[in-house]
Amino acid sequence: MNSLILQGVTKCFGKVTAARDISFTATSGRILGLLGPNGAGKTTTIRMIANILTPDEGTVALDGRNVGQWSQEKMGYLPEERGLYKKLKVTAQLRYLGALKGLGAQESAGKVEYWLDRLGLTKWGTRKAQDLSKGMQQKVQFIATVLADPQLIILDEPFSGLDPVNSELLQEIIAEMKQDGRIILFASHRMEQVEQLCDDICLIANGRLLLGGDLREIKKSFKRDKLVLEYEGDVPFLSAMQESGEVQILEWREDGCVLQISEDCNPRALLDRVLSIPGLELYHFEMLQPSLNEIFIQTVRDEA
Amino acid sequence: MRRKILVVTRSEFMRRVTSKTFIVTTLLGPLLLVGFFAVTIMISLSTLEDDFDGPFGATGMLRIGIVDETGVLGDRIIDQGAGGNATLVLIMPDSLDNQMTRGDVDAYVRIPAEMITANEQPVLYSVDGDARRVQWTLSEAIEWALKDYLLAENNISANVRAILDRSVFLEIFTNDAEEESSEEVEAEEGYYILGLTLGTLMYMGILIYGTLIMYAAMEERTTRVVEVLVSSVRPFDLLMGKVLGIGLVGFAQMAVWGIMIVGGTVLASPMIGLFVDPAMYDLPASATNQEILAAAEIVLPSISPSLFIWFILYFVGGYLLYGGLFAAVGTMVDSPQESQGLLLPLMMPIVISIIFMGPIMIAPNGPLAVGLSLFPLTSSVPMITRIAIGAAPYWQITLSYGLLLGAFLTSIWVSARIYRASLLMYGKKPSLKTLVGYLRSG
Repeated sequence: MNSLILQGVTKCFGKVTAARDISFTATSGRILGLLGPNGAGKTTTIRMIANILTPDEGTVALDGRNVGQWSQEKMGYLPEERGLYKKLKVTAQLRYLGALKGLGAQESAGKVEYWLDRLGLTKWGTRKAQDLSKGMQQKVQFIATVLADPQLIILDEPFSGLDPVNSELLQEIIAEMKQDGRIILFASHRMEQVEQLCDDICLIANGRLLLGGDLREIKKSFKRDKLVLEYEGDVPFLSAMQESGEVQILEWREDGCVLQISEDCNPRALLDRVLSIPGLELYHFEMLQPSLNEIFIQTVRDEA
Repeated sequence: MRRKILVVTRSEFMRRVTSKTFIVTTLLGPLLLVGFFAVTIMISLSTLEDDFDGPFGATGMLRIGIVDETGVLGDRIIDQGAGGNATLVLIMPDSLDNQMTRGDVDAYVRIPAEMITANEQPVLYSVDGDARRVQWTLSEAIEWALKDYLLAENNISANVRAILDRSVFLEIFTNDAEEESSEEVEAEEGYYILGLTLGTLMYMGILIYGTLIMYAAMEERTTRVVEVLVSSVRPFDLLMGKVLGIGLVGFAQMAVWGIMIVGGTVLASPMIGLFVDPAMYDLPASATNQEILAAAEIVLPSISPSLFIWFILYFVGGYLLYGGLFAAVGTMVDSPQESQGLLLPLMMPIVISIIFMGPIMIAPNGPLAVGLSLFPLTSSVPMITRIAIGAAPYWQITLSYGLLLGAFLTSIWVSARIYRASLLMYGKKPSLKTLVGYLRSG
């Protein structure tokens, strides 16, 4: 199995430490989400993986070998700050970027054709990049990333600027590549996308890795402390519970409410009490798993 | 050479030579060039020629009256003539006023009677300043007439006259160190032309293609292609490929121009013949280019193969070094406006090397000449001039060229560092301090 392993990676710019002692492992056939607020050190970390920057300390290894010139040919990187040569035709652009990744002319021609077709851009191949809409340019950039069949794919905000249909198409392709056994890094601010796509996550803030590992395990490790109640009738003791601090009513809904339950509150006892109210119809009782967004906010806040 | 340098070189070359702009400028370039040379040649010929009827000289015939109070010099002066498309006529002092008012003469010269005995000088009176152009020739004619008269008066023999007419002109010969034979080297102007040609070619080449290199480096940052690129290729290879690729575009264009100009002059009527009238040099109308050139005393320097090779080498070296420096500027700025302040000091060394050509030729082994021809930013023009004169020792040429190539590689290396560092500076104004910091950590 292929893997990308970061061990104790640190990078400073003058007095600023952009990344401090970052370690994680990304394995093939899985998508690893890199999360973090702006300026957290995500891009610096990615650049060290892409061999654009060299770590001051620590190592970045792909398949057990330190990254370098050799690994750049095995890697496709779609940066957040990205663009195309405005006046160059799409096909020429892709062939050039492919050649820089070591693709031969013939091989590259076939692949460019395949990908343009796959992303519905065939008739745009002979046009200059500046004639394309922003969304189309995004797709061309995506093609450039995957053109040379990279073993490691790094996607930084790949869906920004794409409409839902094209986002879906890209997600489909990313899923295929995961199936195919590639190592995929996915950096984003969009929590719901990370939650939906990723198998593992790394949460980085202030240049440090705050949280990392299997997404489901991480979510499990966070307590379910939110309760959704849907019912018909009246639950008279809720106000008293709120006053005593056992629960906090977060939201009133037409047919119920969302509660934040404290340590003192036993959800099971609460359920019994609700069920014992005469004439009350209970439709829904659910202990909610914290969302990635909540985990993110909580972790970053705790750190601060 | 690393494969990726080739990939970049080929891409930069191909995308430019296939562009419409390239094709149009390549085809129109020679026309502009011919036009430019035509104007230059016409200007210089019109000032060289005795008669000023060229398009840029004064026009029209001048009639100059000679008011001869001596009674003996007038005819002699008229025989001698004043050239410059001026006709000399003898007029009587009493009819002078009439002739001037009628416009028969445009100016007149009074030859005072005391000129022969005392040293009184003749004076030219002119309505406008036009007669000024014959001041020297007319002075010579009067001087000759005076001496001729005085020599005749004193019964000076023909022998003595012949002695007085003798003149000396110092010719300059140079030893060609390599061929160990003494051969006449072209007149000093020849070296000058050689140095100037190299200087001008470099200046133009750098101005046109250096700017292209600068824009190319700038474009990748402003369009944000740069991050994808540096994740595929080392910045050094990328910039090296860029400088070589665009450099080759320049050579290709100049080669096409060269072929078109050579072909054009062979096929069409000789260019020089368009501007020089063979009759002017008493040559038949069928005279060849060489004959006309020889008669007009226009000496084209004959260039030895080794000098030619050095010429090409220095052109390429200087051109590439400046290409690397322009690439560095391109990696530092975000707009052409920002580059203005940096380009001027960058072009100064070439201008300086052209300005100092005079002193270098006077003392080709002086400290100024040696210093300028070793310093990479200025070395091309002075060194090629010194090689042509035969003044540059072999070790200096080798050292100078080594320094030039070293400076070229350094310029690419520095550009590459800045290029990589500039990734970290999106949206920030690059201060020298942060730049140096990034250069160290990059």
